[in-house]
Amino acid sequence: MDIFTNFINGSVALFSDPINFVIFLGGVIGGMLFGAIPGVSMLTLAAILLPFTAHLSAEQGIMLYSVIYCTGVYGGAITAILFNIPGAPENAATAFDGYPMTQQGKAGKAVGAAVMCSALGGTVSAVIMMIATAPIAEWAISNFGPPEIFALVVFGLAVAASVGAKTLWKGWLSILFGLMLAVVGLDPVGGIARYDFGMPYLLAGVHFIPVILGFFAVSEVLVQAEKKATGAYKAPKLSVDFPSLAELWAHKFAVVRSIVIGFFCGILPGIGATLAAFMGYNEAVRWSKDKLAFGKGKLEGVISSETANNAATGAAMIPLLALGLPGGALTAMMVGVFQMHDMEPGPLVFINSGDLVWVVFAAMFFANVSILLIGFLETKTIVNLLKIPFQFLAPLILLLATVGAYAVRGLTIDVIMMFAAGAAGFFLRRTGYSVAGMVLGLILGKIGEQTFAQAMQMVHYDFGTYLNRPIALILILAAVGTTGTSIFKAMRGPAKVESMPQEQGG
Amino acid sequence: MSLKRIMKTAAFVVSLAALSAGTVQAKCASDALPVSLEKPGGFPERALTMVVPYGPAGGSGQVAQAMAQAFTELTGVSVNRDHKPGGSGTVGMTAYMASPADGYSVLEHIDDSASAHALDSGRPNPAEALIPLVVSQITFSQIYIRADETRFTDWNSFVEWVKAQDGKATIANVSKEGSMERVTMKFITDATGMKIQQISFDKGAPRYGALAGGQVDALFEQPGDVRKFLDAGRFKPILTILKERPAAFADVPSIVDAGLDFEPLFRFRGFFVKAGAPEDRVKWLQWAFQKAFCQPSYQEYNERKYMNLIESFRDTAGAKELITATIGQYREVYKAMGLEVK
Repeated sequence: MDIFTNFINGSVALFSDPINFVIFLGGVIGGMLFGAIPGVSMLTLAAILLPFTAHLSAEQGIMLYSVIYCTGVYGGAITAILFNIPGAPENAATAFDGYPMTQQGKAGKAVGAAVMCSALGGTVSAVIMMIATAPIAEWAISNFGPPEIFALVVFGLAVAASVGAKTLWKGWLSILFGLMLAVVGLDPVGGIARYDFGMPYLLAGVHFIPVILGFFAVSEVLVQAEKKATGAYKAPKLSVDFPSLAELWAHKFAVVRSIVIGFFCGILPGIGATLAAFMGYNEAVRWSKDKLAFGKGKLEGVISSETANNAATGAAMIPLLALGLPGGALTAMMVGVFQMHDMEPGPLVFINSGDLVWVVFAAMFFANVSILLIGFLETKTIVNLLKIPFQFLAPLILLLATVGAYAVRGLTIDVIMMFAAGAAGFFLRRTGYSVAGMVLGLILGKIGEQTFAQAMQMVHYDFGTYLNRPIALILILAAVGTTGTSIFKAMRGPAKVESMPQEQGG
Repeated sequence: MSLKRIMKTAAFVVSLAALSAGTVQAKCASDALPVSLEKPGGFPERALTMVVPYGPAGGSGQVAQAMAQAFTELTGVSVNRDHKPGGSGTVGMTAYMASPADGYSVLEHIDDSASAHALDSGRPNPAEALIPLVVSQITFSQIYIRADETRFTDWNSFVEWVKAQDGKATIANVSKEGSMERVTMKFITDATGMKIQQISFDKGAPRYGALAGGQVDALFEQPGDVRKFLDAGRFKPILTILKERPAAFADVPSIVDAGLDFEPLFRFRGFFVKAGAPEDRVKWLQWAFQKAFCQPSYQEYNERKYMNLIESFRDTAGAKELITATIGQYREVYKAMGLEVK
């Protein structure tokens, strides 16, 4: 009952003050807008706004960032679906089936599903956050150390290799290529330079955002340009048909599964919404009876990734608020907002600033509800972007992608990397390799290498001791089982095609 | 110069100002500077760019934000922060060294730039290739345990327990070999004879989470970075890596109390302009950055981060002396550690 009363009090504080309401609305719209523009993500907006939050109250500042977080993760789905350009890495998996749906004239259905599932995943996550922030945070940090996170990464890679490419072997080669890119730069143990070829900028490693923009946006422009040149280009058909409730109800298990996956990934520092979306998608493929349809415009693909990435948003607030541990870039910026107001997130926030916490909780809840309301209103207008002729759209996409790649770290090498990935993606998409697998290999490779080094140090380089940790053991066994099953299937018959998101989306 | 003498010089440079909490507030270090200084030839006519070789959320990102805010409050000139993280500060430094020496581009950097030059003289020497405008944060390190820890409760019982584990005990630390943190831990393990496994965490949050969640037995960190855990009663310092106890940690033994004989290393952060920038512009920037240190907003920030426990301010001459002494200190330490010093 206390929770309900606190929620009501938080909601009243949020909406009774007109300034709070304006900030809330600004965050909802700003998050959606910046999330939707490739490259200039919600992080760009958050960085721009950071100095201005000094002039807001602590409640207003934290609430603004929380709202941007919720709606920004959703916003990126729109461009992923309409143009095969994920607005943020969290939406990359959405493009696998969302963009083929657009090409089939089902853009409205895909965007509608993204709206509903983002709202649902985010709202459920926000409710769990309100109910059990402190115990969940304590459970996560006590039970998930580096050995368990490394095992989770191995499991994620095993699943991705099994479902991402034309054949299992090409799937693993794609993953391994991503892992190879991940080791460029300083090693996470001794700070030893690797594969820098004497170029100081390569010491910073290969960042996954320029690679995603290259594999998805640039290669898509090249594919469409080739079609235009050969006369095979067809403008996507417009549609604003939303998915029916019956269609969504048919995917109820996928939604529940993705909420669990998304929430779980969200509470682990350093994992977050990107892995949540990929794992949500991969699990949907794995559990589906119609695996072949994934990557070709299956609604469940959009539902799974969008539910999972938004479910990660509320979860990511749990370690931040309960323990003061930010899990990603945006939550780390929230620490800056707290500090500007002479506060620190962590256990004392609940004691010293309970009102603030509940305003933030209420704002996140209503931000997710707003995705539903505003999302449906904007869908009808936003699909009209597809009317823009390709010759005008393509340069705009390349311009935005270039700005996005450079904005990550202010390094020209990231722009070069993006175009190199674009050219590579253009050829790899024709040959059955999985660019999604490469991206996941790159993202998880960095986390995996770091946590493997930490895990080995913790168990004194004794793998037997490592396997004494039950959660790590279960995840490693699951990874071995997944890989074994897929090898068995691959050897039993001709090259099995489980899904080929690379054919359309990436 | 002998190792001992270099170390003593460095320690003396750092402890020139007495270890005393709160002395900064009473009279601020740059109060003697003029309240205003005429802009030389209208400089700066546009916003400055501050290159920060680390991300916006870490210690460097935060001090850059606080100094930029104080600088703008004082001068009315905007500062655009350009974060170029990666390569342990190398990427940002390389990018900065490629920028024109016109005074419009300034750099935030930490003691890592000094230790990097100590190991490889091919890297820029921050006291020569750059002109320090101000060093605005100097701090010390501590060893922390969980406040509810029962296996050991203080430094002596911790050392005893670690020795009994025969190398199985763990401490969360940064990963880079030759860093201030790693070198200090070597001093401690050599002095105590204990074997402890250091677990490499590059980022703060997973490092603190590892101690809070019981994944490691102890943590090496600076007090400002874990203040929220100290205030919440979750972490407890058991050793202050200073020769004297700061007032804020009067009940925590110093290295002298613990019988450890080594010269402590310090974490410092400061702001620089490229050598070769026009002299009048450098003078104005020195005035502005040193004066900004005493802006109330910056002082409040430093206090919040426990950066007022030892004197954090160094002007250009003081910063050069600090950096030069630090380079000498690290160089001797690296040689003693058997590292290849180029």
